[in-house]
Amino acid sequence: MSTDFKEDIKNILAQTGNSKSDVIPILQAIQNRYNFLPEEALREVCSATEITPENITGVASFYSQFRMQPAGEHIIKVCVGTACHVKGSGLVHDAFRRELDLNDGEDTDKDRKYTIEKVACLGCCTLAPVVQVDNVTYGHVSTDQTAGIIKDFEKHRLSKKKKLFRTGSGKEIEGEIRIGLGSCCVASGSDEIRQVVEEVVSKNDLQVKLKHVGCVGMCHQVPLVEIVQTNQESILYAKVIPDDVRSIVERHFQPKGLLPRLARRVTKIAENILDDRNWEGIEKYSLDVREKPVSSFLGRQVPIATEHRGGINPLDIEEYIDKGGFLALKRVLKEMNPQEVIDLVKDSGMRGRGGAGFPTGLKWEMVANQTGSPKYLICNGDEGDPGAFMDRMILESYPYRVIEGILIAAYAIGADIGYFYMRAEYPLAVSRISQALEVCREKGYIGNNILGSSFSIDLRMYQGAGAFVCGEETALIASIEGNRGFPRLRPPFPAEKGLWGAPTLVNNTETFSQIPFILRNGADRFNAIGTETSRGTKVFALAGKVARGGLIEVPMGITIREIVEEIGGGVAEGHTFKAVQIGGPSGGCIPASLADTPVDFESLGEVGAMMGSGGLVVLDERDCMVDIARYFLSFTQNESCGKCTFCRVGTKRMLDILDRLCEGKGKKGDLEELEKLSSWVKKGSLCGLGQTAPNPVQTTMRYFREEYEAHLNGVCPTGRCSALIKYSVDDRCIGCTLCAQKCPVDAIPFTPHEQHVINTDICIKCDSCRQVCPVDSIRVG
Amino acid sequence: MEKVKIKINNSTLDVPAGLTVYQAASNAGIYIPVMCENEDVDHFASCMVCLVKDAANGKLFPSCSTHVYEGMELITADEEVLEARKISLELLLSEHVGDCEAPCVTSCPAHMDIPLMNRLLANGQTAEALEVVKNDIALPAVLGRICPAPCESACRRKGIDGAVSICLLKRNSADEDLKQDEPYMPAIQKDTGKSIAIIGAGPAGLAAAYYLRIRGHKVTIYEKESRAGGDLRVPELKDKLPEEVLNQEIDRIINTGVNCKCGVSVDKKLFDALMEESDAVVLAIGAGTEHIDWGVKRVFKGFEVSKRGYQSSNPKVFAVGSAIRASKLAVRAVGQGKEVAFSVDQFLAGEKVIGEPKVFNSRFGKLSEREHIEFLKEATADLRVEPAEGLGAGLSSDEVKQEAARCMHCDCRKKDSCTLRDLSDDYEADQRSFSADSRVETEKHIQHEAIIYEPAKCIKCGICVRLTRKHKEEFGLTFIGRGFDVRIGVPFNESLSKGLTKTALLVAEACPTGALSKK
Ligand SMILES: Cc1cc2nc3c(=O)[nH]c(=O)nc-3n(C[C@H](O)[C@H](O)[C@H](O)COP(=O)(O)O)c2cc1C
Ligand code: SF4
Ligand code: SF4
Ligand code: SF4
Ligand code: SF4
Ligand code: SF4
Ligand code: FES
Ligand code: FES
Ligand code: FES
Repeated sequence: MSTDFKEDIKNILAQTGNSKSDVIPILQAIQNRYNFLPEEALREVCSATEITPENITGVASFYSQFRMQPAGEHIIKVCVGTACHVKGSGLVHDAFRRELDLNDGEDTDKDRKYTIEKVACLGCCTLAPVVQVDNVTYGHVSTDQTAGIIKDFEKHRLSKKKKLFRTGSGKEIEGEIRIGLGSCCVASGSDEIRQVVEEVVSKNDLQVKLKHVGCVGMCHQVPLVEIVQTNQESILYAKVIPDDVRSIVERHFQPKGLLPRLARRVTKIAENILDDRNWEGIEKYSLDVREKPVSSFLGRQVPIATEHRGGINPLDIEEYIDKGGFLALKRVLKEMNPQEVIDLVKDSGMRGRGGAGFPTGLKWEMVANQTGSPKYLICNGDEGDPGAFMDRMILESYPYRVIEGILIAAYAIGADIGYFYMRAEYPLAVSRISQALEVCREKGYIGNNILGSSFSIDLRMYQGAGAFVCGEETALIASIEGNRGFPRLRPPFPAEKGLWGAPTLVNNTETFSQIPFILRNGADRFNAIGTETSRGTKVFALAGKVARGGLIEVPMGITIREIVEEIGGGVAEGHTFKAVQIGGPSGGCIPASLADTPVDFESLGEVGAMMGSGGLVVLDERDCMVDIARYFLSFTQNESCGKCTFCRVGTKRMLDILDRLCEGKGKKGDLEELEKLSSWVKKGSLCGLGQTAPNPVQTTMRYFREEYEAHLNGVCPTGRCSALIKYSVDDRCIGCTLCAQKCPVDAIPFTPHEQHVINTDICIKCDSCRQVCPVDSIRVG
Repeated sequence: MEKVKIKINNSTLDVPAGLTVYQAASNAGIYIPVMCENEDVDHFASCMVCLVKDAANGKLFPSCSTHVYEGMELITADEEVLEARKISLELLLSEHVGDCEAPCVTSCPAHMDIPLMNRLLANGQTAEALEVVKNDIALPAVLGRICPAPCESACRRKGIDGAVSICLLKRNSADEDLKQDEPYMPAIQKDTGKSIAIIGAGPAGLAAAYYLRIRGHKVTIYEKESRAGGDLRVPELKDKLPEEVLNQEIDRIINTGVNCKCGVSVDKKLFDALMEESDAVVLAIGAGTEHIDWGVKRVFKGFEVSKRGYQSSNPKVFAVGSAIRASKLAVRAVGQGKEVAFSVDQFLAGEKVIGEPKVFNSRFGKLSEREHIEFLKEATADLRVEPAEGLGAGLSSDEVKQEAARCMHCDCRKKDSCTLRDLSDDYEADQRSFSADSRVETEKHIQHEAIIYEPAKCIKCGICVRLTRKHKEEFGLTFIGRGFDVRIGVPFNESLSKGLTKTALLVAEACPTGALSKK
């Protein structure tokens, strides 16, 4: 059948190009065509192009997106992002593996129908734990729902109307309605509101979750109703009166039984809900953000990257322009020379939002001062932190703002070509940006002689292929060049020798998205926000055990406590605040006792954490810090490119120790060895991945050493580490047999009307029994 | 050519711009170790043993991949830098699955190069094999009859289908030599003018005499009995060890030019005289030292000596064999006789007495079942040969070939030229410093006609990948996978022969470890 491949590859190459730098797009196209990478196809590429077998094999096996074996018909993606991890996604993953009857090392079931994959953050952390089967997303999944999910998927797979968000029991999830039930709210009549909401919801058979949140600190605006539509930003309504409830709810959620056409109209209106001009009915109740401080959730926030959040149609360029979009670009092109732009950005105090906080203006100046030509610009949209999705949200929601920022930068440094480097798992962002680029090209914002000036630039899209390390700028460049994503030593920095050896500016997506604001409002407006050394705002993905998670944009210098308590509404469900993990796999855990630490580059560094990409996960007293450290380290270990010894072997040895601790097999001297490894991996690693990978371990060891010592003695104080706990049934058991029926390994004999007993030798600690027990009589400890 | 000024360890150098720090330092004679660096290909910065310190900010960086710039200041060997290198080696060793020396060798008290002997014997090179034997064992025909063979207990093949018959093989090579009219005579070094007195002509004393004589010293043995041999002449050994063999083999030693004074009982007076006229004295007087009061410190087992150096409380006096600790194991005494020759030499040269230099040795545990198959690739499948003519007669020359061919080549082919081993030795790296929970299984890829590939010894330095790329092999070698599990392999699972059509010897030579080695 080799003729087949010949033809296919010919067609693919016609689309992708056939030079070495096209190797990743070529592989992506081959995988699209065959659902894996058949060896014959790769050989065919080698014979039809200059690409060598060494190169194509090296690249194909580096990126996790590529499979060398055919996958099943459907892909089950279990999110093991941070928020899902702390809500137990590991157990869910195991449960699916059991359901599909997979042996070690297998990921596809016998019928080749389903392939299971772990993914990091599907971007709907509020529904954690989340599982995606093809394009259907199931939220709040528990271990006993795996069979149900597969059945539900099978059932709906063939039906035309796809409900894309469902609970594990197959019910659709449309979102969440949060009603403030703090004392002021109740006093203002929120309980009455709650009743009406419940009524409306049940009458319309809406699949929304009602959630009661505590005082959100905007007591003069009560009662408050917050609507969170799945996969969208939340919208807060203030001073709600019972009569409004019906219209608010119906505008956001589609009642059953409406004619599809009508339903679509309702949805359309809902989409524009914060656009005051378009829709009047409820406007007076929607929060006016300018009237500060109106709410803690929004009021403490300062939208710059997320300006007009929720109120702007991502792809409507006219709307963007109406709201001041491209004003900055016009001014720059007409009134400023490149050096003036650079000076202004320098004056603003802007520092890169990609993690390290390098002064943006300085970086631009370095590239501008290079004499080489061509010059390149790269927008880093690789965002690999498993608990963060700010860049994705910015790219999806504000594509024009990012493009405008890029164009300004390109003008300042004299770039000839710009690239969007986008994470593979972000298809929506890719399509939004592609469309936005198309529109910009038509309107003359991209291309030759932009807006009639002498400035020209072309912007291109490049999709990553699944490698966290490719967020690192030198690895990213290697990957665009068609190589394995090995970072290289800096200096030389990309500013001097970047893409194909030419001067290259690499900035983070969020960095670019703040640029138009700075140019439009002046350096002073921007540097008035934040602290002495960290100016402006930072976007965070707030998740974990807070009442209200989501994307937030806050001024630098805000304290962790303010974020958790005032914006996040405190720790959820009456538990106690233990720590925050900030900065993802490069960051650290900051204990509640240091909650008054301001969030800026320096202060976070002092307590051992890092701004990182902007993941912010709140942990409560049920979270095991050793488990958290292991979680992040296993992520970085798995993502290490494997180039340098300290990171490749060092992180593995660290993980060995953490695995031992979590399994109760710790040895004397393990903690000292872990400390020694941590400090050497930091000191000896070649790139930022290895240099920061020990941070989660070091901070948890620093602030929660007693938990490590307990593990060394075989005890997990929080009962999270499954090897260190036992399941049992206490005397509240009513003998209903539900647990016995649910147990996947028959560890519970079927004894109706009697107290059940768990055979701990057989028990695999899947947690199913606890979840199903109606009287909460399963003990874990 | 443009020059820049840099400072290395506080001395200022003018070096051509464009050099790496490693190159600049090397040119100036400043040593920096490297492993993944190879002058024929671009640098890669993987192994991290070349770390040096930026004096300006205290940061460590790989010198092989950093270019010099004006005003650069660096430190190439402070405590932290040295420790960093050691740690990088220890990390590599923690995942290194290879034995430098075969387990039989490490458990032989005389550290004889058993696999090399086996290979020579399998190839019919008996005389060459004997030379290898005699490098470490002065009395092989004797030991070949009486040694309990700890080497065979450690033999990797023991767990498969019976140890290689090492002891009989060694004996055969020695017996063959005893039959020769012109037997093997070691090269004797130039006369040093030093004279050494050895007291006692048992296995330890004889061995010491042999190896000291080879080094060009004037050696005299004092033996209280009428004949040399000491404990080797006890009646229990008569059956196993024919007197004729013992006499012949002792003669071989004496014939190198050793002066053996038998029937001389050394007392305090004679001892003092020997101390006076000799440059060093070796006590090999066997067990029963309780009544000797020559001013040499004793502990309850025997004379007190330095570990490995065999130096007594009197720096000029050395002690070996049962005189330091009673043992029935003649091979131990013979081994110590060899080692003390190193010590005496070091003493005479005024160096620190450390005995036979101990070299770093990578080791890994038992073979798994699957590894049996890998290791058997290098050996014949036959069962252990038992001598047809009985134990007394030993192996016939056909039997020798057949048995020696069972040896699986457990030692590393790069043991004498492996950078990882050399550096681990230099930096005193400890393979067990970082504990690994599991190890990869060894594999031996032997299909290629010229080279062998053993992935478990690979440090992922990528030199081979860069070389095959540079020389435009059609397939070459490539990295497969990433992170800890990355491997080196031929694309598309092609054979090594297809991967390495013209660069096989080149990569085997360039590989810093035994991962790729010449056959
Ligand atoms: C392991 C690793 C992952 C990274 N991932 C990202 C990323 O996803 N997005 C990003 O913008 N920068 C990432 N960076 C930082 C980039 O290397 C680079 O510093 C950044 O894109 C520069 O942009 P800025 O100056 O705007 O912050 C990462 C760095 C490391 C070491
Ligand atoms: S630190 Fe880790 S990710 Fe970075 S180069 Fe080294 S091995 Fe690769
Ligand atoms: S007894 Fe154990 S295995 Fe059975 S359901 Fe409960 S936790 Fe799972
Ligand atoms: S590769 Fe080097 S360190 Fe490893 S076994 Fe061989 S000689 Fe020893
Ligand atoms: S097989 Fe050969 S090299 Fe291996 S242990 Fe036995 S004798 Fe030694
Ligand atoms: S096999 Fe290749 S990568 Fe491995 S150590 Fe040898 S040269 Fe380096
Ligand atoms: S959706 Fe699972 S962590 Fe975000
Ligand atoms: S990193 Fe410099 S020699 Fe290996
Ligand atoms: S133990 Fe080495 S020869 Fe017997």
